[in-house]
Amino acid sequence: MNFWLLTGMVVSATLVPCADMCLRGSAERRLVGLEMTSLIITIALVLFTIGFGRIPFIDLPLALSIMSFGGGLVFARFLEKHL
Amino acid sequence: MTVYVLLVLVMIFCWLGALGMWRMREPMQALHYLSLPACGGTIALTAAVFFQTGNSQAGWKTLLICLVLLGINSVVTHASAQAFRSRALGHWQPRPGDPVEFVHEKSQQ
Repeated sequence: MNFWLLTGMVVSATLVPCADMCLRGSAERRLVGLEMTSLIITIALVLFTIGFGRIPFIDLPLALSIMSFGGGLVFARFLEKHL
Repeated sequence: MTVYVLLVLVMIFCWLGALGMWRMREPMQALHYLSLPACGGTIALTAAVFFQTGNSQAGWKTLLICLVLLGINSVVTHASAQAFRSRALGHWQPRPGDPVEFVHEKSQQ
């Protein structure tokens, strides 16, 4: 195991407080937890990509970072008007 | 050695952001902690990838990810804060008693 994978594991462990935010509390707190989760997963995917030496897989965090933008906006608008 | 320092910075930024978000009671306060991994974490990660791989496809794509996250974090945070305020008040326009200063569209003289 190299240091990139170790960093990816440590960063992935922050998904525990993110999951707590997403699963408990008000809808606003859950939305914040969702946005933090998408950030953390993007960073962790980059770390795992470099750690495993599978460079073509770096397209996955790139796609996730772009798609999380739309997802966050849609959830925010839905929360504002319909929930 | 530089790569290790940068990766430790990534860990610190991610943990500080997640724990800060977790500890805050108000969602509006928790929203501020998104900027730690989105700004500090991704910049340190991009630098680490460039130090590790040099002028490579991975480095430039990580830079693109960094720029995307830096750009969208401010937009999504603003949209979320606007949604929280609209949900609580029915509108997001400033009120006279608000404890922060707002720039009004028309100067009040």
